[in-house]
Amino acid sequence: MISLRGLCKRYGDRTAVEDLSLEVRPGAVTGFLGPNGAGKSTTMRLVLGLDRPTAGTALIGGVPYHRLRNPLRTVGAMLDARALHPGRSGYAHLTALARSNGIARGRVAEVLERVGMAEGARRRAGALSLGMSQRLGIAAALLGDPEVLMFDEPVNGLDPEGVRWVRHLMRSLAGEGRTVFVSSHLMSEMQLTADHLVVIGRGRLIMDAPLAEVIAGSALTAVAVRTPHADELSARLVAAGVTVERLGENELVATGVTIERVGDLAYEAGIRLHELRTREASLEQAYQELTAGSVEYATGEAKA
Amino acid sequence: MNVERHTTRGGHGERAAADRPTRLALLGRADRPTGLALLGRADRPTRLVLLGRAVGAEWVKLWSVRSTWWCLAGAAALLVLGAVTVGAGEATDLARAGAGGARVTASGPVVSAAALVPFALAAMATLVITSEYASRGIWATLQAVPVRGRVLAAKALVVAPVVAVAGVLSGAAATGAVSAVLSADVFGARVALPPARTALDLLRMGLFFALVSVMTVGVGAAVRSAAGTLSVVFMLLMGAPMILLMTGGSAAVEASLRMPLFAGLAFMESADTITGGPMPYPAGEGLAWLVGWTAAALAVGHAVLRRRDA
Repeated sequence: MISLRGLCKRYGDRTAVEDLSLEVRPGAVTGFLGPNGAGKSTTMRLVLGLDRPTAGTALIGGVPYHRLRNPLRTVGAMLDARALHPGRSGYAHLTALARSNGIARGRVAEVLERVGMAEGARRRAGALSLGMSQRLGIAAALLGDPEVLMFDEPVNGLDPEGVRWVRHLMRSLAGEGRTVFVSSHLMSEMQLTADHLVVIGRGRLIMDAPLAEVIAGSALTAVAVRTPHADELSARLVAAGVTVERLGENELVATGVTIERVGDLAYEAGIRLHELRTREASLEQAYQELTAGSVEYATGEAKA
Repeated sequence: MNVERHTTRGGHGERAAADRPTRLALLGRADRPTGLALLGRADRPTRLVLLGRAVGAEWVKLWSVRSTWWCLAGAAALLVLGAVTVGAGEATDLARAGAGGARVTASGPVVSAAALVPFALAAMATLVITSEYASRGIWATLQAVPVRGRVLAAKALVVAPVVAVAGVLSGAAATGAVSAVLSADVFGARVALPPARTALDLLRMGLFFALVSVMTVGVGAAVRSAAGTLSVVFMLLMGAPMILLMTGGSAAVEASLRMPLFAGLAFMESADTITGGPMPYPAGEGLAWLVGWTAAALAVGHAVLRRRDA
């Protein structure tokens, strides 16, 4: 369990994280989404005690990171797969980490096996491909068999097979009851992996909700209707304060209204319907809508 | 939790011992270890154990990069070459002065040449910390050992003995080289190898190197970049004292002689005359200054590590 309370981080006059409060629960994959520069990596660095918060606290199981005696056995994290000495072998890197936390030596070979790197770990880390480095970083996170796992953009640089592997790994780690906190800019990825979503923009919390709710709550979730009396139904819906978009002669899309209400309005007016269904927004659309106002480097017009 | 374990598993006697430890219960109760119970319980290791693990990790890291070997080999080569050169010069001077047949103590030129070596060793000590900032491997280090002081202590505790041992071994090699070269007829000098004096010279040199290297670790923690760290260490060892000496003011000269390099020469009772004569204070005071500089560098490094984001 990761708990953030009123977490703030400023670098000079730039605010990276602003009053962030949330809980990341065990037994689920929590996706951490936001545009570039939204403060995702900073938040993870604050949780790990790498940066000091300007205000607020980040606790792991109720304890600040630096108070953990064997931190790697409680929290495994991969922030940047390339963040290790390029001249050292992955095997030596993991051996040093294992020593520092009193983790049995045999565990190193075990995690390397699990990430499919039994061979590559003998090579200099600088000679590894990004995908291999990513696997090594995940191996380091798994080393201490921790209850809490944090990954910053874990599928970066992985081939499709690697992406599938990471997806499966996240799900199985959560299935074992662990807390899994994963940041990504790949919305489609989160749609497949996450149970719960935390969305931030410009360092502020935008949404903290189950995945299904984020999609359902989107204004882009709409009700599609096919009817031979499109004009009449359109007028009725508009009169009821619903935004209606006409797609074709017989088709309407209504937003900001439930499917039940559209059905009821049509029934009251005696209008025949040939089709009535909800059209779910993809996470991508929901996300763009949520973060539209908080993109750090918006292009030209959008910026105004 | 501990009490629970005693009541379920232990009989009466054990329970009594657990509640009221006798003098024999040297290992103490699990929740309140005595001085001897330094190892603590497996799930609540003591600080000493945590430091030991951090040292183990730094040890693995030190030997798993090539730069360590290069720096140590460079330092040894520098010491041997420097010592032979200085020794040859000394022997030639003696011969020219008509003191043919005078004895040169083999470890003397080695100690004189020791002023060159700290730079190669400082490079190694620099890399121990700055390479982690350059590669951002420091994130993994601090994730594994979040207590900043423990990381710094572990690095110092690995660097110090490695450099001390490397210094003594290189010094022994250099002493051997000096005595072999000076034994050649051309110098007309005789070499002396008084065992006690040689051992003392080599041990003091090893300690001098170790302290300068630990000082460098402290500077590295504060400065973080390799170039910056080496510049600061160079200034502390050579630049600042030279500038102070050039000003010629007596206070400035006195101060320059207390800076780490000259303090080290004083501690080793080096016959070197860079400053126009032996140091005007005893060896013990030289050691004290050296330890003081090292402690100050570690304190600054620790303060920066604690305050600044990684």
